[in-house]
Amino acid sequence: MIDYTLMYKGELPVEGDWPPAVRWDVFVSAYTSAERVQRVFRKAAAESRHWLVFPEYGFTPEKCPAGAFASESRDEAEYVRSFWDNSIGDIAGRTVGIDITGFIRPYLIFMLRWLAQRGVRRFDALYTEPVIYAKREQTQFSDDVVVEVRQIAGFEGTHSPDTSNDCLIIGAGYDHQLIAQVAEHKQFSRKIQIFGLPSLRADMYQENVLQAYRAEEAVGRHTADESNSYFAPANDPFVTANTLRQIVTRIDALRPITNLYLSPVATKPQVLGFALYYLTERLNTATSLIFPFCEAYNPETTKGLSRIWKYTVELPPV
Amino acid sequence: MKDAAQNPFNITKAVDFSDQEIHDYWVDMPTGDSFSSMAKPTSPMPMLIVGGKGSGKTHLMRYFSYPLQRIRHGRDLLEGIRRDGYIGIYLRCGGLNSARFRGKGQPDEKWDDVFAYYMELWLSQLVLGTALDAVGEMPEVLSREPNIVRDLLSLVDLREHTSPKSLWDLNLLLRGLQKELDVAVNNSGMTGKLPVHITVTRGDLIFGIPKVFAANLSPFRDCLFLYLLDEFENLSEVQQRYIQTLIRERQNPCSFKIGARTYGIRTLKTYSADEENKEGSEFEVLPLDTILRANDRYQEFAKRLVAKRLAEFNRVPSNVETLNSMAQSLDKHFEEFEKSPFGRSETAFVTDKYVGRDRPYFKTLRQNLEKGLDADAARGLSVPDEIEKAIALLRCPEFPLLEKVNIFIFYREWSKCHNLQKAAKEIADDCRAFLAGTLKHGRYQTVLEYFRADLLAQLLRETDQRQRYVGLTTFVEISSGFPRNLLIILKHIFAWATFNGEFPFRGTPISIRSQQAGVLEASEWFYRDSRMIGRQGQHVMDGINRLGTLFRGIRFSEKPSECSCCTFSSDLSRCTDVARRVVDLADKWSLLINVGGQRDRNTERVDAKYQLNPMLAPRWDLAIYRRGVLALTPEEIDAAFNPEHAGKFDEFAEKRIARMAAPFFGHARRPLGGLPPERTQSLFADGDYD
Repeated sequence: MIDYTLMYKGELPVEGDWPPAVRWDVFVSAYTSAERVQRVFRKAAAESRHWLVFPEYGFTPEKCPAGAFASESRDEAEYVRSFWDNSIGDIAGRTVGIDITGFIRPYLIFMLRWLAQRGVRRFDALYTEPVIYAKREQTQFSDDVVVEVRQIAGFEGTHSPDTSNDCLIIGAGYDHQLIAQVAEHKQFSRKIQIFGLPSLRADMYQENVLQAYRAEEAVGRHTADESNSYFAPANDPFVTANTLRQIVTRIDALRPITNLYLSPVATKPQVLGFALYYLTERLNTATSLIFPFCEAYNPETTKGLSRIWKYTVELPPV
Repeated sequence: MKDAAQNPFNITKAVDFSDQEIHDYWVDMPTGDSFSSMAKPTSPMPMLIVGGKGSGKTHLMRYFSYPLQRIRHGRDLLEGIRRDGYIGIYLRCGGLNSARFRGKGQPDEKWDDVFAYYMELWLSQLVLGTALDAVGEMPEVLSREPNIVRDLLSLVDLREHTSPKSLWDLNLLLRGLQKELDVAVNNSGMTGKLPVHITVTRGDLIFGIPKVFAANLSPFRDCLFLYLLDEFENLSEVQQRYIQTLIRERQNPCSFKIGARTYGIRTLKTYSADEENKEGSEFEVLPLDTILRANDRYQEFAKRLVAKRLAEFNRVPSNVETLNSMAQSLDKHFEEFEKSPFGRSETAFVTDKYVGRDRPYFKTLRQNLEKGLDADAARGLSVPDEIEKAIALLRCPEFPLLEKVNIFIFYREWSKCHNLQKAAKEIADDCRAFLAGTLKHGRYQTVLEYFRADLLAQLLRETDQRQRYVGLTTFVEISSGFPRNLLIILKHIFAWATFNGEFPFRGTPISIRSQQAGVLEASEWFYRDSRMIGRQGQHVMDGINRLGTLFRGIRFSEKPSECSCCTFSSDLSRCTDVARRVVDLADKWSLLINVGGQRDRNTERVDAKYQLNPMLAPRWDLAIYRRGVLALTPEEIDAAFNPEHAGKFDEFAEKRIARMAAPFFGHARRPLGGLPPERTQSLFADGDYD
């Protein structure tokens, strides 16, 4: 059984130069106006660097950086396929670095499946922690308009008609509307929430829980039950993946899970952990990654830049 | 956050119940209209069970499902099924994850076929699994199994698959075919290809399995195979069209009950020559919340539901008699204001709070009269002293509610440009006679009867008190046919009572304070929860916000045109398409409740009539009982519900409310002589755009 925490996780200096060994053949980042995204892009050394402009951020062409890849497609598979075919091509033997900080979650998740499918076995993911969220616990990352809740392409599973012990694990973030919509969508399943603890900053955990409580009615009977709340560090994808496995193993042992749904609406490192766990252990099982797709996202929700993480992700063969 | 772990109302959704709990918590209508007689599980005619969120669809459908039959009948399962006359095959459409059957570079028509095939495999596994669970151990099955398997295999194109020898193997084969299809569908996002070989013709297994079982096994001989398809709203229009086709092409011994939210039926079209299914011919409809709302015994049913909760929670055995008696005694667990003549005890706090100082409504009246005097718009009053005399005549210190009645009638007289000195004297005479019991009929009595709740609400607001939504009967009324809403209200009240150190349902009644806090919290939850997915959801909420604000403005104006204003009517055919669509969505999401038609007084035209869901009443301090109906012009409806016209809403609302506000009552500011003649409109008229 793989221990995800054996994968490498380290920090890069916020100020000053990065070690010369930190460089890639291909570097990809999602364009936002946040300082933490722009600074990392400037510092990243790579043969080719690519900005992705997601339609949900609403940037007009004149506001996009020169040479950025932009597409109006909101289908994560179509978008990533189109970017890759147009800008990257054959990846064999090339190293890949991805700054996941500004990525919109479904695109990031599908990107992992895409890389695995293309034979990439290892890549570096960068994530930059903010100093604070701009409006504390009231920060809205999405525009609150959930268009639909559905599975993410490539993470769709083979499900069972027996729905008697379905389970939904939510990586709970600040957007309580997103939590509520996902819980509503899989209303018949047992719901479990993973909160980010330790959080990125000391006060963020309290803010996180306060927001998640607003989705209490949708999450249902298990909200107040402590055995249905779990914790994983907000900045650690590998512990998140391990935590997911522990939760699933525990529930499965009590009574086999009929269908499992995973919904990461929390921090990007946790999203990474969810996707990694799925690809490694749940592919082609009765498991799906589901997500509440929003019409628009706020491209600037944070202030400052406190730590830069580098995660070396090992992907399984698929 | 309040501790909710020991709250009997913690579970508010049927989906959170186990099968055993669905059975244990089941409560039927008091008499006559039992849920079975409404849902007719043995009827071959398919049925759409529609209702808003929390109306009880899932509880009802699960009650008819096989796992519940199993619990009900225990060891006599097969005999029980025979007596029931049906076996319920329950399917949650949400489990199909149907959104993946689209896009991915494939043409729509291909997805239609793939989804139909997937559904066939899915339902076949369910019906086969259910039937086998029921009869799997019977010797009759063993002897007939080869025949049954042979008959069923004739419906499947096996290709390279090994021929199954048993029914369990057949089920595994179907599972394998479904997995193959899953992988093909999932990979199409990456490969752009969708290689699928369809092995079963539409409907062959869904209708074929029950037919073969009924022909071969005695327990199923006269048994209806009832497909219970819940959460139908999760299917897209084309996917629903496939189900509608199954309904149209239904074969014995099968039938369907389709559970859907009110907004969830997207089409009635079929693939059978593009025909549309018709209510009465191909299906019937059970509008669950509408039926519950209209049922005279909904209060009784709802209280039994609460009693059952408490009985199960406290592990007290309950039968029909004990439940009824518990239900009847529930009201006493909720503190309420003592009912007294002329609202004396309900308004006693006014007498206590304003000792030695003017009551706020008289203060406002004085200010209005002074403004009127300055503008020469208070007929009959010419000097400030006369204002004081008029106010003195309207006083009735012992009964603040009657003072409010006096002032209301006074404002009405003012709006009609009557002589205010004279009016005040007449009102004072009426008030005295009413108190003495010599005035039995007339406007005074009628105003009190019709506007009592509004005047009390105004009084509470003017004296900085919270509105009083208290008592179990009130909460049942607020729930409006949605049992879940009642449970959610009680859940919050229970939590607040516990938080406030009370022991709900165990001695002292739940305080008014806890009830008020709980109902307000439940109302806020409903407001958040009712928001539909997508951009139009925002338009609906914006429209509801405007409507709530307008109703509140009217209720708390000096001379409300309608009593208990929480309902409007309008000729929607003259509104913009967008506004009509938004109103329709608000109705389908249960933010508005369609309460039938309203005859327009001038044209005899029948207008649509909607009540704001009473769950939202506490948010805007509105009435929960429907009485007066506000007739809105098509332009006003557009301003409220069409985002492109929303800029005009404030102007419309201000204009409308200005007609009910002193000192001008919507008249232009002009000298007394220029005021228009009296209007003769009835005080309680339903219509006429005012």
